[in-house]
Amino acid sequence: MIPGDFQIKKPSGKQMMLLSTLGIGGLAAAVVVVLGLTWVISAWMGTPIIFASEEGPEQPIAFPHTTHVQDLGMDCTFCHREVTKSAQATIPSVGMCMTCHQVVDGSTEAAQAEIEKIRDAYSSGDPIAWVRVHRVPDHVHFVHDAHISFFSERDGVAPTAVCSTCHGSVGSMEKVRQVRTLKMSDCVDCHRDNGAPTDCTTCHY
Amino acid sequence: MAESWGMIVDLDRCTGCQACVVACQSENNIPINEEEHFNQRRAIQWIRVERYWEGEFPNVRARFVPIFCQHCSDAPCEPVCPVYATYHNSEGLNVQVYNRCIGTRFCANGCPYHARFFNFWEPEWPESLTNQLNPDVTVRSRGIMEKCTFCIQRIRRTKRAATKSEGDSSAETIFANPELERALSPACVNACPTDTLVFGDLFEMLSARRAGERLPKPKNRAQEIVRRELQDAENGRGYRVLEEKGTNPSVIYLSKVDKETVEEAVSHG
Repeated sequence: MIPGDFQIKKPSGKQMMLLSTLGIGGLAAAVVVVLGLTWVISAWMGTPIIFASEEGPEQPIAFPHTTHVQDLGMDCTFCHREVTKSAQATIPSVGMCMTCHQVVDGSTEAAQAEIEKIRDAYSSGDPIAWVRVHRVPDHVHFVHDAHISFFSERDGVAPTAVCSTCHGSVGSMEKVRQVRTLKMSDCVDCHRDNGAPTDCTTCHY
Repeated sequence: MAESWGMIVDLDRCTGCQACVVACQSENNIPINEEEHFNQRRAIQWIRVERYWEGEFPNVRARFVPIFCQHCSDAPCEPVCPVYATYHNSEGLNVQVYNRCIGTRFCANGCPYHARFFNFWEPEWPESLTNQLNPDVTVRSRGIMEKCTFCIQRIRRTKRAATKSEGDSSAETIFANPELERALSPACVNACPTDTLVFGDLFEMLSARRAGERLPKPKNRAQEIVRRELQDAENGRGYRVLEEKGTNPSVIYLSKVDKETVEEAVSHG
């Protein structure tokens, strides 16, 4: 050893402990930050990777679109009546459900229990607190009627065939969920592809 | 979309009844202005009827001038917006995009008509009025600018209706059908009992004038008035508010005709 040569002091056992805790802690913090950012960014883009649920929300009455659409072959516009006439697709009133369910009972016990809920709501007159699945912000004005008539006229298909463009095949979903991000980029891309206006005041007013 | 929406305000007809103000407030989800708001100069009124007194007692006259966003073609509010939240669209409307607005208030400072309003508070309505909100109009939150839109929601809705019933959404088709014209016209125009306000598409008139061509046949009531005023500017009553500012507004005012001045003109003439 050359006299005056600089030598790093060997850390003591206590210092080693502190260093390793700091290192491991820092690494853990970094992982948490990265995961958090991934989630925030992916949620911002519309599809949360972590905690993403393939299932839609639980509804107060387990209404099976599968039974009504796939098994019975009902048309979307049969229940969502205003969809070809107004901005809103509209959820059918309890009275509308009762036109069939006054006489139609479920085939299974579980279904019968659910249908009983509809009858209770009808007799008590209380509205059913359905959980909303698709929602655009208040400053966006989406008009169902205009989109449905455009696509059904252009492609020469029934209005019902257009719904799945944005909503996916609801008929095969046990619990309805959102399939598209419905972010502004989603809307604008489609507007560009179909030659629809992209002026801000087309939707924002 | 080749339109240039404009409005005619015939001051000779205005009685200052404020029906337009009420109609506008309820159509466009404008929060209720309390006395405190007026004292602070923070009340929101997309359209207001300004009142001026003229003459000395006992010969005083009240002058009423409805003032709202003039949808200027050279709007001073537009170039100052740092986020392009306000701009001129293809229909000649000066539009405000609420979701872009960050509330710098530069636009309101530039507006010579005091037609732009800032939301200093979160809008609130009494419980009994929450169900009367118009679902076609955004409820503006605190911190953003708002102003008269010429009831763009009515324009959009009527165009959709016209496409459906007439197969065409051009202004010409809409103004050929009184029912559609009424649906398209802003709430203030529909509410006006004396027909002071006339709404219309001035595109053909304005473009012919700009090109220096012969003025075409008028296609709606507003064009009729504009044509009359343009052809006989000497004797006409038309003017635009603060025209010397160079804002080139889309709203044309027709000045008041006084009985005395008319009699004077007759006796001297």
